[in-house]
Amino acid sequence: MDNRSELDGKVSDGVTAGSAPLISVRNICLSYGNFRALTDVSVDFFPGELVGLVGDNGAGKTTLIRILSGIIAPDSGEVYFDGQRITRFYPKLAIALGVESIQQTIGLCDNLSVTRNYFLGRELVRRIFGLRFLAKKEMRDICAKVVRDFGLREGIDVEDEISLLSGGEKQTFKIARAVSFRNRVIIMDEPTNHLSVRERGRVNELAVQLKQQGLLVIYITHDIFQIHRIADRIVILENGRKVADVLRDAMSAEELEEIIRHGGVGPKVP
Amino acid sequence: MNPLSFVRRHPETATIALVALISCLFVALTRGQWLSVGNIQSLLRLAAVLAIMSFGEAIVIATGEIDISVGSTFGIGALTFLGLAPVVGSGLAVVAALVSGILIGSINGIFVALIGLPSLIVTLGTLFLFQGIAYAMTYGFSFAATDAVRQQLVYQAIGGSTLAGLNPAILWAIGILVGLQLLIFETSLGNRILAVGGDAISSYSRGVNVRKLKFGVFVLSGVLAAISGGLEAAYIGYADGSFGALMELSAIAAAVLGGCHLSGGRISLVGTLMGAFLLCGIQSFLIILGFQPQWYILALGVIVVLASLVDRSLSRLIMKKVG
Repeated sequence: MDNRSELDGKVSDGVTAGSAPLISVRNICLSYGNFRALTDVSVDFFPGELVGLVGDNGAGKTTLIRILSGIIAPDSGEVYFDGQRITRFYPKLAIALGVESIQQTIGLCDNLSVTRNYFLGRELVRRIFGLRFLAKKEMRDICAKVVRDFGLREGIDVEDEISLLSGGEKQTFKIARAVSFRNRVIIMDEPTNHLSVRERGRVNELAVQLKQQGLLVIYITHDIFQIHRIADRIVILENGRKVADVLRDAMSAEELEEIIRHGGVGPKVP
Repeated sequence: MNPLSFVRRHPETATIALVALISCLFVALTRGQWLSVGNIQSLLRLAAVLAIMSFGEAIVIATGEIDISVGSTFGIGALTFLGLAPVVGSGLAVVAALVSGILIGSINGIFVALIGLPSLIVTLGTLFLFQGIAYAMTYGFSFAATDAVRQQLVYQAIGGSTLAGLNPAILWAIGILVGLQLLIFETSLGNRILAVGGDAISSYSRGVNVRKLKFGVFVLSGVLAAISGGLEAAYIGYADGSFGALMELSAIAAAVLGGCHLSGGRISLVGTLMGAFLLCGIQSFLIILGFQPQWYILALGVIVVLASLVDRSLSRLIMKKVG
């Protein structure tokens, strides 16, 4: 644990000089029964930054982003969004604040059409005799355009159930949905799982583009080499604790991998 | 459109075909008696009453839950209406019956949606609970509409009269079907109800208030079951504690026959109507052939098992990729 402060010392405010954090997580703890998923985690996330969140299975990455996307509330600790303390955690609030997450196993309802999944929770409506009905044609057209623009296979009928899409197509669709709405934060949980090499390249390019547009992108992955190429900063979680929070240029991918390999106890950094 | 996609988007297709087929069979086997005006009139009325409570069941099934208590809610709705109509008039009695449905639905909703207990157990409990209350309320006697009550306009509007040979319950069923069809398939609320049944966690992650919706569908189911009970009570004119007993089975069977998947997320209200018609059609067929009504219960049991078998194999077929 001694070298934790040493690694933390590597954090520089360089990238984000002068800007306040968009999301600030302070001393977050969360347990599932006896299992401590997160212990005293504090991280700041800045706008226009691509942060790689790295760690082994069970490190607490998914738990952290589930808190940020409002699916679960922490047991203790504080979360600030744009300087405001968040006291209640529910997905609707996160979405309203502009936090969009692309999660591995959740986010799509298999029984609904592609269009209905695209607009779930923010359906377009039009008024007929004062009653609000789904603007089906408008929704279908918008969704069809997004599906086309993201290069999903020709012949996908957006009126068909989404369960007819392959794993990779579903993942691409989730990413398309997340970036098509106006957001401030995009959280990607292992976004390149199920994807082909070419699709992976596109997702990574997209993550960089979103960052360049001023969004905060939090990118969760196992693959330290992949994230080291595109991230501005890398946060490593290990057994529910933050063990490193370093600027990309401060350490090589190999050094970061060593930290993960040794359970958060990294090599001496010159 | 690919025929498979058509069936996939219209789960009631199979039920409509089945109803047409079986109707022809019934007409042939009863030498046209099944199709007589009198039989069709009573069949449509019975089907309408059953359909209204089955719509509620179907919408609960849409969220991935089940409501077994509708039989008792039906009975309590009927008893509340008939018990109060002579005292406060039919209008207020209808309101009271609706409130009884809301109350029973809310109790189910609190335990299932807010506390998180399995709906099968909770509504089985409330089924017995309100059945017990119904028996206690009517111990040794039954509630009947007085002649004065039968003259009231509200009483006649909810089932105590005929319009062009049709019982008002049929018109109520059509009106309710249109309203619910729009609600479920044409509004964002309906989209979210279906989403919850498809994948509750995913819909929650998209900002859908799962608990509120589940609570709401139980209340809706309670209200619809109470309406059904009121319509039946106004037609028959009296009710005792056993009123509505076993109706829950018919309601679930109608929904399943109509193409509603018990796993949630995929329902058809038109199909449910067809399912209700089919069940009542079988019942009248057995009566015409001179079977004792008890045989209907046996037939219902066989149908429920067969329907769930078909439900499973159909959904496997339908969900096959079209490529």
